[in-house]
Amino acid sequence: MKIYKANNIAGYLAQAFLKNPLTMIFGISIILLGYISLIVMPREEDPQIAVSGGSVIIALPGATPQEISNVIIKPLERRMNEIKGVENIYGTAMNNVGMVNVQYYIGEDREASNLKLYDKVMQNMDSLPMGAMRPLIKPFDIDIDIPILSVAFFKLEDEKIDNIKLYKTIRDLQQEINGLDDVSKTILKGAKRPQFNVMIDLDKLSSFHISLGQVAQSIQSISKNSPEIDVPTQNNELIVFGVKNAIEDIDDLKDLIIAQYRGSVIYLSDISEITYNYDIQNFQKVLLSYRDTNGEFRKAGDQLTLTVAKLKGTNAVTIADEVIKKIRESKEELQAQGVGYIVTRNYGIRANEAVNELVHHLVITIFIISLILIPFLGWRESLVVTIAVPMILALTLFIAYMTDQTINRITLFAFLLSLGLIVDDAIIVIENIHRHMHLAKSKFQDFDHLIVEATDEIGPSTNIATIAIILTMVPMAFVGGMMGQFMLPIPLNVPVALAVSLFVAYVFTPYLAKKLMKHKYKECELPGAENIGVFRNLSCKLENYLSVLLRKCSWSIKKWKK
Amino acid sequence: MEKIIYAILDKTWRRRAVVIITLILLGASLMMIPTKLVMAKMLPGKSANTFSIYVDTLTNSSILQTQELTECIEDSLIKEKSVVDLEVYLGQGAPLDYAGLVKGSDFKRMQYQAEIVVNLTHKNTRDEPSFLLIHRIRPLIQNKCASIVPGSTIRFVEMPSGPPTLATIVVELYGTDDKLMRETAEKIAKVFEQTEGLVDIDIMQDSIFSKYELAPNKEKIMGSGLSVEQVNNIIYLAFKGMSIAVKNTRDQQDQIPIFVRLSEETRGIVSNSKEALATKLSALKLMNKMGMMVPLKEVVDINMVKSSPTIFRKNLANMVTVTAECDMVSQVYPLLDAREKLQEILANDFNVTNVPMMSTYMFDLNLKSKDSGEKLLLRWDGEMKVSLDTFRDLGGAFIAALVLIFLLIVIYYRSFALSGIVLAGCFLSIIGVISGHWLSDKIQLIFTGSNFFLTATSLIGFISLMGISARSSLLLIDFSRSLIAKGMDVQRAIAVATATRSKPIMLTAIAIILGSLLLATDPIFGGLGVALIFGSIAATLVSLFFVPVLMYKTKAMLWLKKDEDKEECFSDE
Repeated sequence: MKIYKANNIAGYLAQAFLKNPLTMIFGISIILLGYISLIVMPREEDPQIAVSGGSVIIALPGATPQEISNVIIKPLERRMNEIKGVENIYGTAMNNVGMVNVQYYIGEDREASNLKLYDKVMQNMDSLPMGAMRPLIKPFDIDIDIPILSVAFFKLEDEKIDNIKLYKTIRDLQQEINGLDDVSKTILKGAKRPQFNVMIDLDKLSSFHISLGQVAQSIQSISKNSPEIDVPTQNNELIVFGVKNAIEDIDDLKDLIIAQYRGSVIYLSDISEITYNYDIQNFQKVLLSYRDTNGEFRKAGDQLTLTVAKLKGTNAVTIADEVIKKIRESKEELQAQGVGYIVTRNYGIRANEAVNELVHHLVITIFIISLILIPFLGWRESLVVTIAVPMILALTLFIAYMTDQTINRITLFAFLLSLGLIVDDAIIVIENIHRHMHLAKSKFQDFDHLIVEATDEIGPSTNIATIAIILTMVPMAFVGGMMGQFMLPIPLNVPVALAVSLFVAYVFTPYLAKKLMKHKYKECELPGAENIGVFRNLSCKLENYLSVLLRKCSWSIKKWKK
Repeated sequence: MEKIIYAILDKTWRRRAVVIITLILLGASLMMIPTKLVMAKMLPGKSANTFSIYVDTLTNSSILQTQELTECIEDSLIKEKSVVDLEVYLGQGAPLDYAGLVKGSDFKRMQYQAEIVVNLTHKNTRDEPSFLLIHRIRPLIQNKCASIVPGSTIRFVEMPSGPPTLATIVVELYGTDDKLMRETAEKIAKVFEQTEGLVDIDIMQDSIFSKYELAPNKEKIMGSGLSVEQVNNIIYLAFKGMSIAVKNTRDQQDQIPIFVRLSEETRGIVSNSKEALATKLSALKLMNKMGMMVPLKEVVDINMVKSSPTIFRKNLANMVTVTAECDMVSQVYPLLDAREKLQEILANDFNVTNVPMMSTYMFDLNLKSKDSGEKLLLRWDGEMKVSLDTFRDLGGAFIAALVLIFLLIVIYYRSFALSGIVLAGCFLSIIGVISGHWLSDKIQLIFTGSNFFLTATSLIGFISLMGISARSSLLLIDFSRSLIAKGMDVQRAIAVATATRSKPIMLTAIAIILGSLLLATDPIFGGLGVALIFGSIAATLVSLFFVPVLMYKTKAMLWLKKDEDKEECFSDE
């Protein structure tokens, strides 16, 4: 029998792997790697967009917006414009303070951009106007700035707890949450911080002939903290002592002597009302209303929102779970104190839902495609394609994991999009094997050789066609702007998936065809014949039967001749 | 199949008919874009479980006034069944999200600003998508609540389905004359209000209000033994208050400040008038170096002045921004309407000229004041600019892809004519893409009452379709050529090849269509799905009927892949 000699890459690959015992192990490990990648890859809802930029804030107390604009904003803008890679510069001149926001082109390296910004401001520190305060430089950092989780803590019905106590409790919880792995920035919004409020009565002030300045001075003069002092004794031991802060609690403030008026001592409590309360000058507050278990809305009043951000490249799903678990652990303790909580934002769940939904879609689609192939190709051929497609996706996913991508909606859309494209290579190979099997000349050909020949035949045109599709996706990687960054997983993953599909089509499709398909000559199709389809006519079956008979006869004749 | 193709190839008029039908279909589908049968938008809205409301009252409103407004909104919202909870952030932005990142929510720290985060029930269990809910309650809330503090704006911010922008429609007005810019911005805002489909119109600038300026009388201050600094500090301490000292604590994470201010009763001023302020100031006394008490009123003069609004600048020029959102419509058409109206209205005061040259700034207008000769630049930014940039870049990517395919095939076949056929086949799938969008628009209008737009993802779909049609055409050409090489007559060879290859071509198309069915139901990637489904139907028809007709007329089909044919290849051009 003539041995077919492969003359291109498709044939070589098919030949090399067709009888290799490792092919099976190789295939299984690919599927496993893909599955592991799906589990461990960080999940996000939307892909990260590398936005670099930052704001420079300079305060010049007492200046009007016009003055700020002239002495701070305009010179600063010019300096910022000297930086390479800056797309837009926004200046804001308010009363007392000026702010310049620098926005780099999307995709500029964040670390380098921040460094350039610092560098530029530092270089020009000497040209700051008189009276201006030190510039504050705040680079943007989406990872750190956008919390993945926010939890509202509020007072339960019975009002056992006041704002300060609530703050203290949550502040301690915040410390614990910050200690969890991969948690980056946590913020408390709507915090009411404790403070001593000294509310001075203006009328009493004038009647006692005391000025505000005096009051301020006397408070400042007693609330000094000083470090401890150590002095050696005669025996060279250290004796340590320190001055205690004179203000220990609210009574120390109340008993503070401000002045003497007509022979009597005037205490701070005589001219003012002193309370230990929250920061009343802070007008920012956060209110919560929620639907309780009965479906009725309850206005819970002041609440404290704890937001949690994650480190870059970490898994939003697991971090959100960890944090919520932590809070749930102290749920009873919180409840005992009269604190309830509601999770008001959970990107972890959203990411997980989005990813799971799309994975679900992927599985359904693969299933539908393999079903539809059955009437056209037969169920064995369809099974080959059904196994090949997850392999392609698994290998692509593994490559994506190795290249530090995250699994997000766009990645999965890239997979869904590529699904239609990657089945092609497998279909073309299997279809050609199928066609060859039913060619008249192959009736006596060895199945292995037939497979190699069929794969080899369509090699060049499949290569060129797949390369054409890869080429169409590549320019998309150079689309600029936010949209380009947002869509980036598509040009990153689709070409990889296509290249992988070519590899799988040449390596595993022939292998699977050999394992799953039977070389039985049961059909009587010719190239171009129109009787392809679900219904095979009777004469065809008869002919098949005859041909099998004929083959058996000729085989026994051959044997007999020998 | 073979017979049909053979028959078509047999008669010249049949071949012509195929070409003409194809061209008519192409023309008709291309016409759908300018005639607005198919509308373009960058990214459509998606149903989300949460949305935000940004509230801005007048610049000099107190936090209590702002709260009054948010309470009104709250009362309306809690009537909605799908609302689960809502958080009101007064005097600050809500925890940052992608929308807030570009909308400047992080920089909010004034009394007139507030944000409300509204959480809804899960989108799978809710009938009404979030964008329809917002569409419904927006007018209700705005009519009811905005009038509580006149001049307030209430904006509804949805979760962006793609990259966020400042607003859907943004007009940036650049110039040097602040007053003129302020007036023009108000005119623009008025035009926006009259434009159908535009909502949440906001001018990003402070309102001007009266305030009082205490001018220290230097002579009197010196004469009474005080210092200007002392005067400043005391006024601030008395009315605004200061933390003048701190106490460290053992059991808390923060230092505890000691905050001093006048008591609520004595701090308040009776009314917003100069006299009331003067009375209050005369009650506050300062102590001079000699220990004598000097009433504050004695050393300062009170003047009433206009507040100086914040100055916004972008790229080294003063700027006023007017923003608007689109309510359930693509931003393209309201923008063009508004632009037309603007040109009309602004022509009263300005010489309006278009910006020369095609660019993504092509909608900009140059304004030159008729009175003062002052120049203004009216620039369209926001989602429109991002869309134009994206469409431009994707268009560029598309052309690059075409060129790459062309080169690849020229290398493979060494024939420009055959490459041309493949390219024509690629391009014609646009028929399916556009008419598919038209059809989906009609279907979606019936079922959900919202439009289906041609989006950036449709373009991505179109680009990937090119590869698919290129593959079909390639397989056809390859097979026909090998049959011709075997000595078959051209007409028969093409017919046989088309018939044989129709199976894998159709299988591929079916696989793509099925693979994209679920894509088509997604709000963002719906465009991609529809483009792929209808595009591959069109591509299949094109490769089965149109490409054979073209092949028939191409001499390059006759060549065998032999080196001696090289010279002929070029003579055929």
